[in-house]
Amino acid sequence: MRNRFPGRLPILLFVCLATVAASAQSFRVQCPTSTITHPGAAITAASESGSTVTIASTLSPPVGSIVSIAGVSPLGYNGSFAVVSSSESSFTYTDTVSGLGDGKGGIASNNNAEPAYNGATTYAPNAQGFMAPNAGTVNGAIKCQQISGGDGYSTMGDGTQTYMFSFGPLSGLADIASGKPGTEFPYIFNTQGPAMSPGDPATTDAPPAITSTGVASSLGAFTYNGAVGLAKNVANLVSIYDVAEDPATKTVYVQTNAPLGVNVGDTVVIAGTGTAPGNGPYDGPQTVAAINVVGTTFPATITNYGFPAPDNFTFLVSTNTALPDVNSSSTASVALPGGYDGHVDPRPIMDVGVMNGNIPAPLMAIDEDDEFFLTLTNVGMIMRPDLFEQHTVHFHGYPNASSFYDGVPDASVAINIGASFTYYYLAPDAGTYFWHCHITPPEHLQMGMVGQLYVRPRQDRVSSTVKLIDALRAQLQDLRTACKSETDILCSNPIPAVDTGLSGAATVLAGGTSGYAYNDGDGSTYYDVEYPIQIHGFDPNFHFVGMTFNPEGFSDMKDKYFLLNGRSYPDTVIPGPLYTMSTDGSNHFSQPLSAIINIPAGKKALLRISDLDVSEYQTLASLGIPMHVIGYNAKLLRDQAGNNLDYYTNSITLGGGESLDVILDACAVRATDGSCTTAVPVGTYYLYTPNLDHLSNDAENFGGLMTEVRITN
Amino acid sequence: MKKAIYKTQLLMAAIVAVTLLFAVSAQAAAPGIIGTGATAGTFSLIAKADYLSQPDGQAVYSWGYGCTTPPPSASFVPSKLTRAGFCNTMQVPGPTLVVTENQSVTVTLTNSLPTAAGNTSILFPGFNVTTSCSAASPVGQQGLLTCEATPGGTVTYTFTASSPGTRAYYSGTQGDLQVEMGLYGAIIVLPDPAKIPGACTKPSIRTNLYGVKDWATNAGIPGAPEQDYRLAASAYDHPDTCYDREYLFQFSEMDPRIHTQAEAQVNAAGACTVGAAGCSLNVPTEPYHPAYFMINGRSMPDDMDPNYASQYPHQPYNGDPHMHPGELTLIRVIGQGRWQHPFHEHGNHVRILARDGNLILSSTPTAIAYANGGFATGLAGPLLFTTTTTPGLAFDGIFYWTAKGLNWDAYGHNAGSNDPLAALSCTPDANGYNTGNTAALNYFEWCQDHNKPLQKAPFGDVAGGGPATLPDPNLFTNGAWYGGSPYLGPNATTRATGCSTGLQANGPNGTQPGAACGQTGSTPPSGTIANPPGSEAGFAFMWHSHNEREITTNNIFPGGMLMMMLVDSREYVIDETN
Repeated sequence: MRNRFPGRLPILLFVCLATVAASAQSFRVQCPTSTITHPGAAITAASESGSTVTIASTLSPPVGSIVSIAGVSPLGYNGSFAVVSSSESSFTYTDTVSGLGDGKGGIASNNNAEPAYNGATTYAPNAQGFMAPNAGTVNGAIKCQQISGGDGYSTMGDGTQTYMFSFGPLSGLADIASGKPGTEFPYIFNTQGPAMSPGDPATTDAPPAITSTGVASSLGAFTYNGAVGLAKNVANLVSIYDVAEDPATKTVYVQTNAPLGVNVGDTVVIAGTGTAPGNGPYDGPQTVAAINVVGTTFPATITNYGFPAPDNFTFLVSTNTALPDVNSSSTASVALPGGYDGHVDPRPIMDVGVMNGNIPAPLMAIDEDDEFFLTLTNVGMIMRPDLFEQHTVHFHGYPNASSFYDGVPDASVAINIGASFTYYYLAPDAGTYFWHCHITPPEHLQMGMVGQLYVRPRQDRVSSTVKLIDALRAQLQDLRTACKSETDILCSNPIPAVDTGLSGAATVLAGGTSGYAYNDGDGSTYYDVEYPIQIHGFDPNFHFVGMTFNPEGFSDMKDKYFLLNGRSYPDTVIPGPLYTMSTDGSNHFSQPLSAIINIPAGKKALLRISDLDVSEYQTLASLGIPMHVIGYNAKLLRDQAGNNLDYYTNSITLGGGESLDVILDACAVRATDGSCTTAVPVGTYYLYTPNLDHLSNDAENFGGLMTEVRITN
Repeated sequence: MKKAIYKTQLLMAAIVAVTLLFAVSAQAAAPGIIGTGATAGTFSLIAKADYLSQPDGQAVYSWGYGCTTPPPSASFVPSKLTRAGFCNTMQVPGPTLVVTENQSVTVTLTNSLPTAAGNTSILFPGFNVTTSCSAASPVGQQGLLTCEATPGGTVTYTFTASSPGTRAYYSGTQGDLQVEMGLYGAIIVLPDPAKIPGACTKPSIRTNLYGVKDWATNAGIPGAPEQDYRLAASAYDHPDTCYDREYLFQFSEMDPRIHTQAEAQVNAAGACTVGAAGCSLNVPTEPYHPAYFMINGRSMPDDMDPNYASQYPHQPYNGDPHMHPGELTLIRVIGQGRWQHPFHEHGNHVRILARDGNLILSSTPTAIAYANGGFATGLAGPLLFTTTTTPGLAFDGIFYWTAKGLNWDAYGHNAGSNDPLAALSCTPDANGYNTGNTAALNYFEWCQDHNKPLQKAPFGDVAGGGPATLPDPNLFTNGAWYGGSPYLGPNATTRATGCSTGLQANGPNGTQPGAACGQTGSTPPSGTIANPPGSEAGFAFMWHSHNEREITTNNIFPGGMLMMMLVDSREYVIDETN
């Protein structure tokens, strides 16, 4: 029931908070550095000399690439590092810790960048009985993202602050704030963040003097892009029985009364060796020098009551000598911090994730052949403590989806408040998809739980020396990536009927902006810049009712705010993130994605347009520059014979749950080789809706579904 | 009248309803009649008033087409799905008329609507119709669009079913009211049997052969024979329109205020005389505020009850699609109301074959040599994950689902399991699917992912197996159509863990030595309802209007234009008759 008696509220709040506290460890993230599909190489030895670490493995990573080390003991070796030198049998990197003993075990992997597409992946059966990729043929990488499911506020074009059920970013915070996807490689995702404040990154980025709405003037102060909350596993903590120092060798011997599980080189934290907390002579972090020393050099002052050898270790002290022995201590303890394994600290997650709703929800972008780990962390809806709502992620349009990860709560599972669920997909065929919550869709979508998602094609990874059509033919060699009209009625990009002879020209994965929308094989979906544009609508009455514990009517839902990337004109043409002050008094980047379309004169812009309006169809028209429609519903427009079915129009109409790819060409006349002979004149053009009643912001007869296309020099 | 509905309460109510209704699951097809008497292609229809049942408990006054007399059993198609006598009164949608290309079709319509409703008629867009108004001895009254039957009167329409495909028929008289009231239906033209491509019927291809496999003859594999519920082997004279299953979905909406007004005015007029003062209706059809959003005249969850279910005497057709992996499923979709609806098919794209019976073909005349042996000009219809339904417009499309590209074994096969069904083999054909043995339970499995584990427990050990690790099942909520595990097919969890009782042994994939059997981290604390883990455990996908407010019934969620499509593993027999 939506109606609650006011007297019950405190009880409900208490229950809610207690649930979060008790289930703190239910928040988790997952971002493996290597998998079956993106394997690493076993580490046969690890050693440190000064600040240079040498890893023996057959990984053979390129110098300068980021390698992830996982599973090595001691833990100090694990992490992601830039390769300094590399050979077929080993590679080195520079580390910041010191005193690591020889390491053993673990996997070194290099899934932190998109490799060039040099051909199809080939497979061979492995020892476990399934097909694993052959070395040297692995394509794609690993990508991870974390989002919160909860609530928040956004600012409408008329200044009204609107309550939302919404998703917010919990990874890639700095990237999201600058309008980029919050999807990250493991080496970025798996980093622990700085101390964060409620509202971050807006709190750190925004100027001290703030209005309720506006653009952060100091954008960029907040730089962290990892998984919010990521923390080392809970430390293993055991009691120390005796401690004794050998002044001659400056060696301290520690006798514990339970297994600690240390290895040489591990950093342990000792506490309680003094008479008062914090003043113990041995207290503090120490690096383990030796383990299993009973019966060899253990000093006589330590009485071994039969504790097994692995329960003892030593460390070296450099300055202090003749420290007092600690015998039969009742307070001393030693802790071995855990490594990063997906456990999180719920405090930063709640600080940052609560009331942090974004519209559109965090942008996601992956590449074909990527494995994508998306963790949804349900932080609860603070303004609606009466609702124990789950949230889900529906990857709208994924071909051959699994019902388990499809996000439909009726057909699968849905994560409760105070816990996390990781969605897993191997990237589907390239295209413009989108995503949204699938809990009570008329409500959760209208309330704002909608986001953008696109998959970049393999063709973006084809080098400039390889013909696009040859790369598309190469994709036929892996049955997973093959697309043939003869055998598959759902194949959308067969080999093009015309060989244009063009070669790879994408730069988007190398830090540039150009790429292709699809694996077209003929370059027909090339763009110089791309813009995700999401159409949505808010019914302010529904949102008000949604905040006030009252039942909501569905059939008379009527949108009054018409949104492009969560903004209505003129907010659509404000650069940078909009922020909105929330009920917690902090500012949040409520609408991070501007809808300005900047196109250099003579260049092409790809508009990845999706519509998640829940009540009516929306039309978007272009004034001045024709809309060149090249894709529809995440599929290339091409017939079974390989003819492109692209078309030109001045308007497109989409219903909720549709997407379409449009190229705006800022070139009026192109030569046969594709070069621009006459550019579209520099100036401002408009995208607007000819549904003229949608050019309004509630009561204001101005604004609505409109933005600017700016052709620049 | 404002219905204040509390969502959570309704969810509970819906779940209870689901519990009651789906103890036995029902499936769909594209049922219809080939005639109302002895002659195929000759239909004697009637337009009449009655009440439609809605899941909010309302009985909505409506008008619909029906049969003047119950057709014989032999008139019902597909032959495996017949309900003699079901077309004896009005129904919404009207009876689906199934005819064959080049057949001569005669439809006689008797107007048994209340006298105050005035004339009525039928339009058959897409056909060249001759009416009884133009006969030597005219019968009926020529209206603006077609020949109309006066109250109590009769008209006849004749035409040749000139080309195959799915099309709408609906009232051509005061359509804003009469179509809203329910006077619409579908006509399906099957290809001339002589033109059905040989590729669609020859035994060497995958089409439907596995669908009719008699499981009972395979030792150790439960099940009864599958039946063929198709109306034909292909939708068009084209080898890429072969299909294994078919479903017909007609989208419409109702504004209950219009229906209430119509009923009140009909009652007020009583048994009036045609032409007399007051013997007419003046029902405002604007502003339009529909509250019921229906597929085949039913709102969810009623649409997932069986075809011809006795509880819906005037809404015989359902929307409850099922399919096995790899089966080509033909969907015939018609927009019958006045609004467009973005119909989103979860699970995969739909290849649009044709609009209003017009096959969409490539401009390149060079034929494509299809793998099934057919040879024809390529298709050129778009691939859509959201198929807009438009009033008066019909389209045909083909959908299928396989686990291709999931990157984990959808069946939970596990070479180390003690369960023999977990150790099935997968031999890829030229396209990567396991099709060598049509009797295999994992027929059409995507072999590249065979035996590949979904998850490695416990949490934090992703690198050890992966790719993903599921949370404690106490942390999530299970859906009514959740099959109990991430895997496909009955007892999939047992298959994945290799045991049903005791503790799991050491195994290579997905298993958690020492953990309870059947516990992969995803097993629900209790069984689910509409897709039982022990007998079905299909993969459920929601097919629904993405104007999400339309998946409500008179402000109640869930409801409206929503159905659950199930991909069933092959040991689950898809019986469209119940």
